[in-house]
Amino acid sequence: MGHHSLALGVEAVGCAAFDAGVKGAFGYPGTPSTEGFEFVEAMIHAEPQSHVGRVAHWAANEKVAYDLALGVSYAGHRTLVTMKHVGLNVALDAYANSALTGVRGGLVLLVADDPGMHSSQNEQDSRRLAEFAWLPCLEPSTVQECYDFTGRAFELSEALQVPVMVRVVTRLAHCRAPMVRRETLAPTGLGVAPKATVQDWVLIPSNARRRYVDLLAKQPRMIADLAPLNVLRPGTGRRGVALAGMGRAYFEQLALEHPALTTLPRLDIAAYPLDPQLETAFLALVDEVFVFEEDYPVLEERLGLRGRATIHGRLDGAIPRTGELSPRLLKTALDLTTAAGKAAIALDLPVRAPRFCDGCGHVDAYEAMQEALQNLGVSDARVFGDIGCYTLAAQEPMGAIHAVVEMGASISMAVGAAMAGQTPSVAVIGDSTFGHSGLPALLTAAGSGVNVTIMILDNRVVGMTGQQPSQALDQVERMVLGMGIPAAQLQVLTPLPKQHEANVKAMESALQHAGPSVVVFRRECIQSLRRGLLKDHDREEKARHEHACCTPEVLS
Amino acid sequence: MSDPRIHGIVLCGVGGQGALSLAQVVLEALRRSKLHALQSEIHGMSQRGGSVHAQVCFSEVPLSSPIIDEGCADLLIALEPLEALRYVAMLRLDGHLVVSEEPQTDMAGYPPLDDVYAALKAVRGAHLVDTEDLARRLNHRQAGGMALLGMASKFLPVAEATWRAVISERFEAKGARVTEKNLQAFDAGRGLVQETVGA
Repeated sequence: MGHHSLALGVEAVGCAAFDAGVKGAFGYPGTPSTEGFEFVEAMIHAEPQSHVGRVAHWAANEKVAYDLALGVSYAGHRTLVTMKHVGLNVALDAYANSALTGVRGGLVLLVADDPGMHSSQNEQDSRRLAEFAWLPCLEPSTVQECYDFTGRAFELSEALQVPVMVRVVTRLAHCRAPMVRRETLAPTGLGVAPKATVQDWVLIPSNARRRYVDLLAKQPRMIADLAPLNVLRPGTGRRGVALAGMGRAYFEQLALEHPALTTLPRLDIAAYPLDPQLETAFLALVDEVFVFEEDYPVLEERLGLRGRATIHGRLDGAIPRTGELSPRLLKTALDLTTAAGKAAIALDLPVRAPRFCDGCGHVDAYEAMQEALQNLGVSDARVFGDIGCYTLAAQEPMGAIHAVVEMGASISMAVGAAMAGQTPSVAVIGDSTFGHSGLPALLTAAGSGVNVTIMILDNRVVGMTGQQPSQALDQVERMVLGMGIPAAQLQVLTPLPKQHEANVKAMESALQHAGPSVVVFRRECIQSLRRGLLKDHDREEKARHEHACCTPEVLS
Repeated sequence: MSDPRIHGIVLCGVGGQGALSLAQVVLEALRRSKLHALQSEIHGMSQRGGSVHAQVCFSEVPLSSPIIDEGCADLLIALEPLEALRYVAMLRLDGHLVVSEEPQTDMAGYPPLDDVYAALKAVRGAHLVDTEDLARRLNHRQAGGMALLGMASKFLPVAEATWRAVISERFEAKGARVTEKNLQAFDAGRGLVQETVGA
């Protein structure tokens, strides 16, 4: 096709999945992975109506997204599933077990890691999870490689009959660069699996034991099939470099300015599992190795265990143990000099922290909560928060939430603290996070009968990642009641300044109730409102409602 | 033979000011000028009124790193004066700084404005633009970004026609009037450098 356009790294993955003929794409929003799904979603939605059958759908959480993809694969079609690194923790049960079942239609998992924690709660390395699951992982270093490797990942997935991970990091996920597309394949299916293989997908112990042996037996074939992506360049001298991901990209560019670097013995890694023979061959050429990779010292530890060469990287301090890699870190490690630039400004520059948008309903909800706590004489409340824009309330001067760990944790942490005797015990969670993993926690909360107050800040979209549709849209009250919270302990409020007094009173009564109570603060995200994202939805709902009112068969 | 030198541009501002979309215009203009160009941007929480920055690398030879080392950028385009100060050390000794004088002070501990301006004026190669006055004169509230780009364009190897084409396409969907307003702002900014150089 040779079509030339600009794309972000994750968009190139989405585009390649479209061109590889995926039948279904799924994901849960999370920076820096979100645009990958959005790109393939836009392409699928732009297809002519006659071109039926392709689907792109945000899921309630990453595990659901992964299982949706697995279903598409079992049905014989190619599929893409996208998430951020911590999202893979949520989907890990599905991911690790799908290694044993294997796949039918190619299944590619895009995971975007966030070294340096630009917008994440940790900087875990997804390569470790691929290794943990005994599955292949491809690691591109440029936007074009994002495109090319994804196409290749589909082929590998079908050849090896396992899911294949494509791992990117923030700097590549959000690198915008030219991308050349190849041929666009039609979404053809492989058909229903033959009966003989069906037992492979039933992980009862007798099958699982057999499949685990099969998975381990596939490892040499994985290494062989991935071999062309990992390249050893002998070079000259006994000082070498081992490069992966952005380490490869930064080194490549440094070599343009420092041609001496091009002659070093060099091991380029772009696919895992790693080949022990390749590592041994490389280590035979060098006495000293600099390892440049993003996040954990995966390659560094492997090389360190395998030979007698001195290894420089994150473990010996040549590169800091935490945080993002950068061209400067490579230069420092390699002792390359840089011409001095302008001096840094001597003025003390305070951080400009992100903050709530003007007019955001979350602020009104928090103010009601804080005043209610104060009115009840609680001066040292410890409130359990969750993940979303409303996490900003942890910052001073608001300081309204005091623990934020992972998606959906607020409710269970509050229940646990209440069980341990903390009063009041308050959880704050957004509508999308509630749909993501708050539901089982609320089921437990309702059954426990302990004294917790759960605030659901319902802004009707996934606000923080760009106002994607929330799976909980218009469902929150029904979900709360369905989990077993009595109707008398469910209040729905509008977080607006003019409702402040009433909201404070409502919060006070919820806090004073001796059992579990839920307060929903509902007002559309100000950004979503500005963009009119729910206008059509609300108009249709209103029309449907009016229609239902004059139809006698309404269920009660 | 191609010049293997690598050039860098840093763009910064406050979330919502349009630093990222300005970076995309720069990237596209460089690409159309037959240069190899890459852009890096950081999304996420930074969109909520925090500091935002993007980088563009370009060269006559193919590149692989979207980010620039400290002291290596040729140009810094800053939509806000305090934000500019954070990135001055990214510039080469002979690098240029094109910065709006219009502060966004809705944050804790914003330094005295006189100190900020003094620090900026002390930077060799700094060009301060009174974007507020310019917006008033052009009767276009959001003229600032395009005006800064217009001024910055004087330091970049892109033909004027290419800039105009890229800007026109970018605003095409918003109608001829909006496109015209943005081209006007770009021209006004571009004109400012001639005045400065001529003085």
